[in-house]
Amino acid sequence: MSAFTPQPDPGHGISSEDFLKFREFFYRRTGISFEASKRYFVDKRLAERIESTGTGNFRGYFTLLRFQASGEELQLLTNSMTVNETYFLREEYQFQCLVDSILPEIVKHKDGSDPIRIWCIPSSSGEEPYSIAMYLLEKWPQINEWDVEIISSDIDTSILRRARQGRYSVRSVQYVPARWLAKYFKGIGDEYQLSDDLCQAVEFTRVNLSEPGDTANYRNFDVIFCRNLLIYFDDLSRKTATDTFYEALNPGGFICLGHSESMSRISSLFKVRKFPEAIVYQKTLEAR
Amino acid sequence: MKRGLVVKRILIVDDAATVRMYHRGILESAGYTVDEALNGIEALEKALETPFDLLLVDINMPRLDGFGFLKELRRQPMPQPPAIMVSTEAEARDEVAAYRAGASCYLLKPVRPSQLLAHARLMLGEANK
Amino acid sequence: MGLVKGKAAQPAGNTTSKPASCEELAAGLESADAAVRRHAAREIPACADAGAALVSRLKREEEIAVRAAILTALIRLDDPVATAGLADCLRSEDVALRNEAIEALKELASSGDRAGAVPPVLASLLADPDPDVRIFAVNVMESAPHPDVESWLIEAIERDSHVNVCATAVDLLCEVGTEAAIDPLVRLKARFASEPYIQFAAGLALKRIREI
Repeated sequence: MSAFTPQPDPGHGISSEDFLKFREFFYRRTGISFEASKRYFVDKRLAERIESTGTGNFRGYFTLLRFQASGEELQLLTNSMTVNETYFLREEYQFQCLVDSILPEIVKHKDGSDPIRIWCIPSSSGEEPYSIAMYLLEKWPQINEWDVEIISSDIDTSILRRARQGRYSVRSVQYVPARWLAKYFKGIGDEYQLSDDLCQAVEFTRVNLSEPGDTANYRNFDVIFCRNLLIYFDDLSRKTATDTFYEALNPGGFICLGHSESMSRISSLFKVRKFPEAIVYQKTLEAR
Repeated sequence: MKRGLVVKRILIVDDAATVRMYHRGILESAGYTVDEALNGIEALEKALETPFDLLLVDINMPRLDGFGFLKELRRQPMPQPPAIMVSTEAEARDEVAAYRAGASCYLLKPVRPSQLLAHARLMLGEANK
Repeated sequence: MGLVKGKAAQPAGNTTSKPASCEELAAGLESADAAVRRHAAREIPACADAGAALVSRLKREEEIAVRAAILTALIRLDDPVATAGLADCLRSEDVALRNEAIEALKELASSGDRAGAVPPVLASLLADPDPDVRIFAVNVMESAPHPDVESWLIEAIERDSHVNVCATAVDLLCEVGTEAAIDPLVRLKARFASEPYIQFAAGLALKRIREI
């Protein structure tokens, strides 16, 4: 089927100009950009939301999206447009960037008696902070010369409980190399249990990023991973979150965002840094 | 790859979607490859990721304006493309500031197709085309 | 050495140890220490006259992180003094300050429970003698959920003599225009018949409105 085949449901007919208009609007608000080849996918999601909101057609729906003061519908649509699946070593190039480029810069300016602190938010069910832990142990030889603290936070206490427990499905560990799997996991039935050592290596905490009081004492971090979270925030929450990150980072510290995210929708507080593996953002060394 | 045979790549940096479409249409019709960014930070991300032959940069943009973008880009250790700065502002101080920030030429909006192409060709060293 | 379990929270610096009085915060906003200024900007919205103090500092502040904290504070404050102060920044010669003010005003204009003071200021900015200020006013409307946005834009393309004010308004009409904008867009095309950009943008807006 051609990507430009109109919707089968005539009630939701979305014209190509509608699509372009929507694409510009959505790009400006969320930073997510769709190629023309995604037309069918986008139309389908839009048709679903038109249906759920009872707005009847694209025009009515777009007016709701554009003029709704709470921005709630934009959030719901963003959720339906993004697939937020988490698994071990997702977007691995960033971990590569951490060990090959970021940490070497961090240790240049660091006193050997201070720990390197990494903050990973949202923790979700723990795949990301644990991936970082494994990556450091396996791929960063200097791990033996430094203390590294990994702190991981989420707003959802039930997911934090699962993260601490460290029990994962086959699907979740599918990209973990066999040697790492044997070393850090134990098969239990059709699931995998992460070793106690690794579970103990990460500190999990509950945090609401939009609530400055929650994070007031989060300080002295060298690297923050905040992937695929800020796209779901409204502008003021995003601002609050980036202010929080700025306060939490040491001068020269780094922020890593998700693959489809960009600081360009968020803040000019940080410098864009290009490394061979990834683009990341840095609080300048002169800042304090 | 031989340089002369490669299609020239131009980055349009403007927060107004219609302006980006308009400039894109003009430049693509002349055979250039075009990419877009809607503010200075996104432009910096794109320019660091892949080299461009020419930049077409608006001044007033959220997060990082055209001056801030060019100043930051000019500090990077990489081949530096020429930049055409476009703005709505007629006052001479903006033109001076544009050159100081690292622009190669300054055009007032709205830009005419023939004017844009003439300047683009000049900046790309294709003046005889 | 290796992975060690750390504590998320670290001992706070002296800036957060005790609640400061409004006098201390006002003084803190003028401190030589950027961290103290940033902290003062975050805490001062609880005090009377915070808007004036914040706007005054914003215009002189050079540290980007302090500016960011002041702008966030002004957005949280959302009172007429804050709004008027930001509107005044649109006249600044400092491009960065102007764009920061546009962005802050956009945010004030974009959320329902915080949309208090912006629309009246917008209306007066749209009538400003300086065309650049009128362009910025249209920029602020970009994300405003206000029901009058389209009629303001129509007013602008019908009356404004400056081509770039009309161009900016048409850009936004490509997104929010309805049948009400059709005739004004047609008249605009006739008024700037020799201006290729207006022909393009107004044509696009018309196409989008007519194509259902």
